[in-house]
This record gives sequence, structure tokens and C-alpha cells, in this order.
Amino acid sequence: MDLLSNTVALSRMQFALTAIFHMLWPVLTTGMSIYLVIVEGLWLKTRNPDYYRHARFWSKLFVLNFGIGVASGLPMEFQFGTNWAPFSEAVGDFFGSILGFEGAMAFMLEAGFLGIMLFGWGRVHPAIHYLATIMVAFGANLSTFWILVANSWLQTPAGGEMVQGKFIVSDYFQAIANPFMVKSVSHMFFATLETSLFVIGGISAWYILNNRHQEFFAKSLKIVLVATIAVTPLQIYIGHLSAEQVAQYQPTKLAAMEAKWETSPAGQPADWSLLAIPDEATQSNKWEITIPNGLGYVLEFKKNLTTPVLGLKEWPYSDRPHMVGLIYYSFRVMSGIGFFLAGLMLWSVLQWLLGNLSNAKIADQKWLLRTWIFAAPLGYIAVESGWIVRCVGRQPWTMYGQIRTADAASHIPASNVLTSLTLFAVVYSILLVATLYFGSKIIGHGPNMEISIPEVYGTDKLAIATEPAIFVPDQRPIETQQ
Amino acid sequence: MEALVHFLPQVWFVILALFLFLYVMLDGFDLGVGILSLTSSDEERRSILMTSLGNIWDANETWLVIMGGALFGAFPLAYATILSALYIPIFIMIFGLIFRAVAFEFREHSNNKAFWNFAFGAGSFIAALGQGFALGSVIEGIKVDASGHFIGSTWDWLDWRSMLVALTLIQGYVLIGSTYLILKTEGELQKTHFKTSKIAAITTFIGAIVITIATPIVYEAARTRLFSAPLVYIFAVIPVLGVLLIWALLRSLNREEENTPFIWTILIFLITFVGLGLIVFPYIIPNQITIYQAAAAPSALVFMLTFIGVLIPIMLFYNIYNYVVFRGKVVGSAYGD
Repeated sequence: MDLLSNTVALSRMQFALTAIFHMLWPVLTTGMSIYLVIVEGLWLKTRNPDYYRHARFWSKLFVLNFGIGVASGLPMEFQFGTNWAPFSEAVGDFFGSILGFEGAMAFMLEAGFLGIMLFGWGRVHPAIHYLATIMVAFGANLSTFWILVANSWLQTPAGGEMVQGKFIVSDYFQAIANPFMVKSVSHMFFATLETSLFVIGGISAWYILNNRHQEFFAKSLKIVLVATIAVTPLQIYIGHLSAEQVAQYQPTKLAAMEAKWETSPAGQPADWSLLAIPDEATQSNKWEITIPNGLGYVLEFKKNLTTPVLGLKEWPYSDRPHMVGLIYYSFRVMSGIGFFLAGLMLWSVLQWLLGNLSNAKIADQKWLLRTWIFAAPLGYIAVESGWIVRCVGRQPWTMYGQIRTADAASHIPASNVLTSLTLFAVVYSILLVATLYFGSKIIGHGPNMEISIPEVYGTDKLAIATEPAIFVPDQRPIETQQ
Repeated sequence: MEALVHFLPQVWFVILALFLFLYVMLDGFDLGVGILSLTSSDEERRSILMTSLGNIWDANETWLVIMGGALFGAFPLAYATILSALYIPIFIMIFGLIFRAVAFEFREHSNNKAFWNFAFGAGSFIAALGQGFALGSVIEGIKVDASGHFIGSTWDWLDWRSMLVALTLIQGYVLIGSTYLILKTEGELQKTHFKTSKIAAITTFIGAIVITIATPIVYEAARTRLFSAPLVYIFAVIPVLGVLLIWALLRSLNREEENTPFIWTILIFLITFVGLGLIVFPYIIPNQITIYQAAAAPSALVFMLTFIGVLIPIMLFYNIYNYVVFRGKVVGSAYGD
């Protein structure tokens, strides 16, 4: 078969597989780290032991995801060199530096304080423990920042130019603040937060629906709900801004997102395609439902287009993205989920205002709770779809307009890549199943309500500095230890 | 300006060597503990071994990630050429590290602890093997053209010399892992690790001697460099220091001292590293591409230095703090909570 001996195609598949799999874990841990900061803060402020139990319970799911995230992150770090050597050599000055920053500023901060956050209860002063939790959250989100800086720079290269096949940087800060950076970082920041909020909300809803610790999980559901009031509409708005910047800087991607083959001129209205079957052979949509005059409203909130929207036919076949259907539907799935989650937020807030989420009544809201459970995995699907739009839509470029994907791949035997790709497919399938299994086991087990609550010292008594660290082994059987 | 063009790559060579040394020392004992766990049939002992690493393995592994990123940024050509040339050993290492990492998380919740304990040990061994082959082939030299692109074949990394380096590195990891466990355990378990430390010290020593003798014999380039001043003096001093350190290590093991074996082992690692660094310098792909040829633009090196360089003391500070918080013996299979 042709594909099996095509190093470029196999390397792309491997990058896509490892990136899609890797994305599943940090998307939860970065968002959830903020939630952990909130509940631990609430505990320190109110001394209500339930918040401490929340911190302990959710951190179990946190660390499970964190571990897989670390494991699946390694291939991402090294793959640029193994599979994309010409690309790495061309862009290393900036792109490599940014990956270095991510490691030194973000990963190390997360990893260095994670041990204290997980195992440090009772070993360090609560204030220091809280600091560790904050550092983990800060590190995780800093990592989002640097990765999105690096990826945005590939989308809209700035701060220098290509000279004889190597990108020479003239202004590093301009490269960091490239045109896509601010909106893309914000979009991803809210994406991790929104996904985590609905995972936490969905799991909480499941407990309430199953009559387990109802009062306890009503707390987390309400914390989540308060946060979604701000997050869900903001994310839709930033999503819109992101689409606008695509329209401005990456017209080929916009054309693929809208399955638009023909150009719509400026000064006129144009139809917006809601659903279609794009056909690349005939360069048209086989079947389509359109909203008449809708495109102007979608892009600019008015009827007539100010600037023309170019169709795919404007570019030669080799200069525009393929797999138009994938890009088109990924975009619709992502936006659809964004609106659905905002709708769920509105419905829930309405019920809350009507007093139906009180501890006495919340369990009766069966359909609302079921919808929350249904919504739990939607954030992941939206995030993955969004990245498909972003990176498949960028093709045929690895660095938009500068380096073609076909020129970026290492000259290595296809059999090497096929072997590693197959191994990743097998190993990652096992890891996915195992993580879901152990995750549901943690959820099935539920929170430990008997866990001893550490004493919150007064501010005048910093125990950690003076107490000798004599290790006291835990005598309880392993099963009861947290 | 000319001086700066030379000075900056040298600074980054030293920083990368520091990252690599920190990784090999710190994750070295993690991997060593993992490999040691394979020799035990006692699940309780394996659990204690894993617990001794629970809070730190992740931070230790992060030094590898930082080193990868810094190499990518500071010497893009070396990052691209070395990784694509060593495709197979790199992925061997990655899969090993994946198994090691997930074993920590899954074991916690699994009823079948034995299986994940094994994944931890096997993963550690596979990762160390991949690293050893990669290290061996880099020292041995990678076939490149004049512009530094890889032109060798995909199995170049596999021969008796890289095998020798891989086996010695594994022994070295077992040595530092054993001496770490002397620090972290007590009683019968500690006695076992005095024994494993002694065996590993001797096998590592033998490996190191063979490598030291073989290098100038097999590699003409190394021979001419090593036997001319000023390197010849350093080359003479390092083995002498190495032998003295091994002697000090064995003596501390015989006296069953708790803290010193780990310190002597770190010094042995350090002296080996200094020796290796001196042999390799000024090359980044030995005997082919110098650090000056592979370096990123001076502005990039300054850019990285301002962001990463400043962070090095801070990273070291909170990593040391982490060790201080969790100092002391591991007795149960959880950290007292």
C-alpha cells in the first residue's frame, strides 16, 4: 500500500494520534487545578471540612489524569526531532526556545510542587500547602500559555523572516505576541476551564442522581455553575473573535471551515452553509442546507460582507487544505457544543433562581442532572474538534505560508514510523481503557467522608519551620489510606 | 562580537550538561530503583520501593523535558540530527518512560498491584536501555554530511560499543538507586541494598574501565585529542579520581554508613560527566559538528538565557525544598497519610 511507505503521511498520522491522545489529560488537569485552588481556599477561609474533602477527592482524579498527561507528553517533546528534523532545524531558534521555556517555567513548577500538593498534607503548614496548590495551577496554565504561543506562531509567523530555509528571528517579543497569540491563548484557557467544569459538574450530578452524598456534591455543582455563568458566554465570544482572526489571516482555513468553494464578493449578502456534504472531486457541496444571507451575520453581525470571502477554488489544489468535510464538521461540532453548554448553564441558573436546586429539591431535577452527566464528555470533543480545525485547516503548511508539511518531515524509513505509530495505537488504546476503568473506580468509591481533617494553625504558629520531620508510618491498611 | 559568538554556545553547552547531569543523577536513581524492583519477588518490598519515589519521579523526569527543549532551542541542528538518527532508541526510551509513569498512577487504584509493580520495573529497565544506546551512539559518533544532516542507516546505533555503554549505564543507575534506597529504607531492606550497591559498584567499575580503555583504542580522533596537552593531564587525573571514589564508596558500604554511599556515587557520576564533557567538547555531535556550527543565533541564545538561565537557581531551590519536606525513611507503602 502507498500509505504504508509514505513517511510524511505516517509521521502526520503519528503526530495527530499522539497529540489527540495527549490533549485529553492536560485539558482536564489545567482546568481542574484552578478548581482545586478554589476549594482549598474555601476550606482555609470557612474551615468547613467538606471543602477539604472536596480537595482530597478531586485531587485523586486530578493525579490520575496528570500521570497520563506526563507520560503522553514525552513523545510530543521529542517527536519534533525524530519525525520533523528539517522543521526543527529551521525553526529551532524560536520554537525550540519556547518549548524550553515551557519545560523550565511551567512543567517544573507543576512537577516540583505536585508532590507537596498530593502527599504534603500534615507535613507542611496549610499556607505552604495552599501555595503548592496555587503553584501547580499556575504552572499548568503557564504551560497552556507557552504551547499556544508556539502554535500561534506557526499559524501566524511573526518577528523575523525565512532566510535560506532557516527562520531568522529579529524581534523575539514580536514573535511571542504574534497576531493569533492573545485570542488563541484565551480560547484555550477557557476551553480547559469549561471542559473541567462540566466534568466536575457531570460527576457531581451523577452522585446527586444516585442519592450519594447529595448535599456534598450539590456544593461542587454550584461552584461549577457559578463559574460557568462567566465562562460559557465568554468562550463563545472568544470563539467568534478567533474565527474572525482566521478570516483575516488564514483565508484558506476559513474557506474549508465553511466548505466554501466559490468566492462571495464584498458589498453583497451571501448564504451561510449550515450542513453540507463537501465533495473534493467535483469541488462543490453535493447537498446543502443554507441560511440565506447568513454569512454576513455570522462573520460581521450585518447583512452585507465588507470584504470578499474567498472560495477554495481561488487557490491551486496544492496550496489549500484537503479533508474539507472533516474541517467543516469539526468546526460545527465545536461551536454546537459551545452553544449547548451555554444553554445548559442558562437552564440550570433558571432552576437555581426558582429555588429548585436547594438541598431538598435538587435530586428531583432528574432531567437537568441527566443533561449535566451527558455534558461531561462534550468539552473534550469540542477541544479535539477545535484542534482539528486549527491544524488540519492549516495544511498544506506546517508553518503557515512558510514551511510545507511535506518538506518538514525527517528522511527516515517509513517502516520505523509505521512501527512506532502501531505501538502508539496499541499502547494508547490500553491506556485509555485503563484510565477510564480506574477513573470510574475512583468515582464508584466516592469521597472519603471519614478522612481526618488537618488542623489549620493560627497565622502566628508556623509549624513546618520548627518541627523535626520525623516520619510516622501510616498503620491503617492500604485500602483506607487516602 | 566574535568573543560572544564563541562564548554563548559554550555557556549553553555547560547548561545542557548541567540539565543532563541532573537528569541522569535524579531520574537515574528512580530508574535504578525500578530496575532493582525487578530482582525482588516480594511485593511489599516493591511497594516500598515505588513509594520512595512517589513524590519526586515526575519532577526528576522533567529535567529530561527541559533538556530536550533547551537542546531544541540552543542547538536546533543537533536536536534534529541526533533525534532523527536515534529514532529507535529514543522511542524505546519513550515507551519505557510511559510504562514507568502510568504504573505509578494505576497501581494506586488497582487490585492487581503485582502487575503494575512489574510495569514500573520493566518500564524503568527499557527506558534505561534506550538511554544507554542513545548515549553510546552519540559518543561513538553519528554519520552526517557536511551540513550536519544524518546520512547513516537506521540501525547504526546498535553495536557492541553502544551495548557496552548501555549495560554500564544500567549498572550505574542500579548503583545510584541502591545507594538512594540505603538512605530511604532501614532494617533488613537496607541490608539488601548494601549488598546490591556493592555488586553494582563493582560491575559499574568494570564497565567504566573497559569504556575508558576502549575509547582511545577504537577512536583515532579521541586518541589524538586525548593524548595531547592540555587534555592529557585531565585524562590522567579523572581515572585516578574515579578509582579513589570507587574505593571510598566500597569502604563506606563495608562500614554500612547511611548517607555517604549516595554522596560518593553522585561524585562518581559527576567525575564521569566532567570527563565525558571534556572529551566531547567542543563538539555537540562528537567529532563532526561543533557547538558553534550547531548553535542557534546569538540573539536566540541570549533570549533563552534571560528566561531559562534565571530560572535555574529557582528550580533548584524548590526541588531541594521538595526533598527536604519528604526527607526521612519510607516504612509503609504510603507517605504517612
